[in-house]
Amino acid sequence: MKVLTPQGDHLELLTVNMGPSHPATHGTLRVFTALDGETIVAAMCEMGYLHRGFEKMSEQGTYTMVLPFTDRLNYCSAMMNNIGFCKAVEKMFAVTVPERCVVLRVILSELSRIIDHLVCVGANLVDLGALTNFWYFFNPRESVYKIWEKLCGARLTNTVTRIGGFYRDTYPGFEDDVRKVLVEIEGAIKDVRGLIEHNKIFLDRTRDVCVVSKEDAISWGWTGPCLRASGVDHDLRKQEPYYGYDTYQFDTVIGSTGDTYDRIMVRIFEMLESTSIVRQALDRFKPGPLNTADARLSLPDRNRVYHDMEALINSFKLIYEGVRPPAGECYDATEAANGELGYLIVSDGGTNPYRIKVRPPCFTQFAAFGPMIEGTMVADAFGSLGSINIIAGELDR
Amino acid sequence: MSAASSIPTAPGMPATVPPPAPGTPLAATDLLALVVERFPSATRDAADHWDLTIIVSAEQLRDAVLFLRDDRRLQMAMLLDIAGVDYLAYPGHRRARFAVIYLFKSLVHGHRVKLKVEVDEESPELPSIHDLYKIADWSERETWDQIGVVFRGHPNLKRLLNHHEFIGHPLRKDYPCQKRQKLSVNDPMLDELELRLRQLGYTVLSEGALHSMPTGLPTGAVDGVGDRGQIDPDLVQGSNAGADQRGVL
Repeated sequence: MKVLTPQGDHLELLTVNMGPSHPATHGTLRVFTALDGETIVAAMCEMGYLHRGFEKMSEQGTYTMVLPFTDRLNYCSAMMNNIGFCKAVEKMFAVTVPERCVVLRVILSELSRIIDHLVCVGANLVDLGALTNFWYFFNPRESVYKIWEKLCGARLTNTVTRIGGFYRDTYPGFEDDVRKVLVEIEGAIKDVRGLIEHNKIFLDRTRDVCVVSKEDAISWGWTGPCLRASGVDHDLRKQEPYYGYDTYQFDTVIGSTGDTYDRIMVRIFEMLESTSIVRQALDRFKPGPLNTADARLSLPDRNRVYHDMEALINSFKLIYEGVRPPAGECYDATEAANGELGYLIVSDGGTNPYRIKVRPPCFTQFAAFGPMIEGTMVADAFGSLGSINIIAGELDR
Repeated sequence: MSAASSIPTAPGMPATVPPPAPGTPLAATDLLALVVERFPSATRDAADHWDLTIIVSAEQLRDAVLFLRDDRRLQMAMLLDIAGVDYLAYPGHRRARFAVIYLFKSLVHGHRVKLKVEVDEESPELPSIHDLYKIADWSERETWDQIGVVFRGHPNLKRLLNHHEFIGHPLRKDYPCQKRQKLSVNDPMLDELELRLRQLGYTVLSEGALHSMPTGLPTGAVDGVGDRGQIDPDLVQGSNAGADQRGVL
């Protein structure tokens, strides 16, 4: 493509497609670029390659039937999507779940945040040519998946929560397994920090690369670790605390320049904060009821179903019709691993959601990716694509 | 719920609200009073029993968004999302068929508000706010793609989630869930790239050859693969440089 530069010089640009099927895109993303040598002059992003019609599918079944779909949004931390959706529906019912349920949701959320960051940072470092870190990070991730398997029988897509509680309680020895895996995670983080923190290649490849200013990050609607890397102190767990996050001792991790380095480091230190939250939550994890006693949401005890007519009807109605939130429009958000995961639910008082709009955190981050990489080198662009953690499942829905 | 339902919706109430200190969110009543003082026809949406949704007209939209963003008592610097809703099948719904909901948040104060704009079926149009928030560009494209509301003044109102050959708007209630469409040729995106180059101050003199066209599945091909085991030869012949590589499908 022949162009005149703003300075009036003639220039021949090479147009190159990166993706949608390329290992470095970590999913089906397409970036169409105009290159001057190895420098990206202009970039346009295309998404939708993994669009499955989540929102349309959600309207076809009951609220409980939406749960397995939410697993497939951010599949690196599927439980957080389950929990966010259940929390939104519970908000419509004005139901608070029992203390044991809240604490278990905090434990599972924070472990999910850790494994999400492990994948993000591990794969990001592979993009920069540092393969060892990937193995260091995937070992503890595998251990967390072993816990998931014991907890609910599934690894990647768990569907572990239910509206009003959980699919089932934890297994004996759950707390010990979690404490063990926390030590493993901290060991892996120490190893990786030892490999990268004073590594000149890593620092040269990430520092001051693809800088996103505070103002830009806000205008792009960034949330989560990427927003915090740009120096904005914003975390829903602190600013709009839910599930008692305000009673846990932890720090918000904030970057200073908003470059690739900050985005990687914010995630690494957030994992350490999360391990601390999980330890505090384990201390509070006491026996007690796990599901709400509200008959509009929770299935009655099986023994009662066989001997009590009301419990039988209750069970029948919940299984065949599902829950019926009051008519109205409700938005609720949680701080997921990638940022603010929001569900806008429109209910007509019936058993099926009338409309569900998901606010996927990485949508806003990928929207900014084109302008973000203009002026940088191709190799750095992919280093920074990893750092904004685009998960095509939630991006394309 | 009980606290929210007591919020007055009458316009013209005095709004002598001082700017809150950073970190203290405005109460929903105060926030509503501020908006109603400036836009007397704005009303609280009764459908949102949980938080604050304010209905404004399409003509007021840009002014209202600017007011939310720039007023120092509000400082809603973040547009979180834009969501379109089709009320065609909503029981007892007597108002406009569509609504577009804008979700705002103030990072300084911490309060949230949703703006709702009703959109007629006859002329589903709204003014674009892509110049006020950077993210609005993509969010409006998605809303157009899914619901079919046109955003006037948007520089590049192309589909975002669906393939560019897709016909219709899937989240409209009269779009059948199981409907399948044949979509084959990738969007070359040269028009978008040239638009971007012009925005950056370049003058495009001639189009060059395309290098490394994508070879994967066409967008939207996830459903109904059974229908399309074979690529239509007419479509392959009439398409661009990378079409021959797609024969592997």
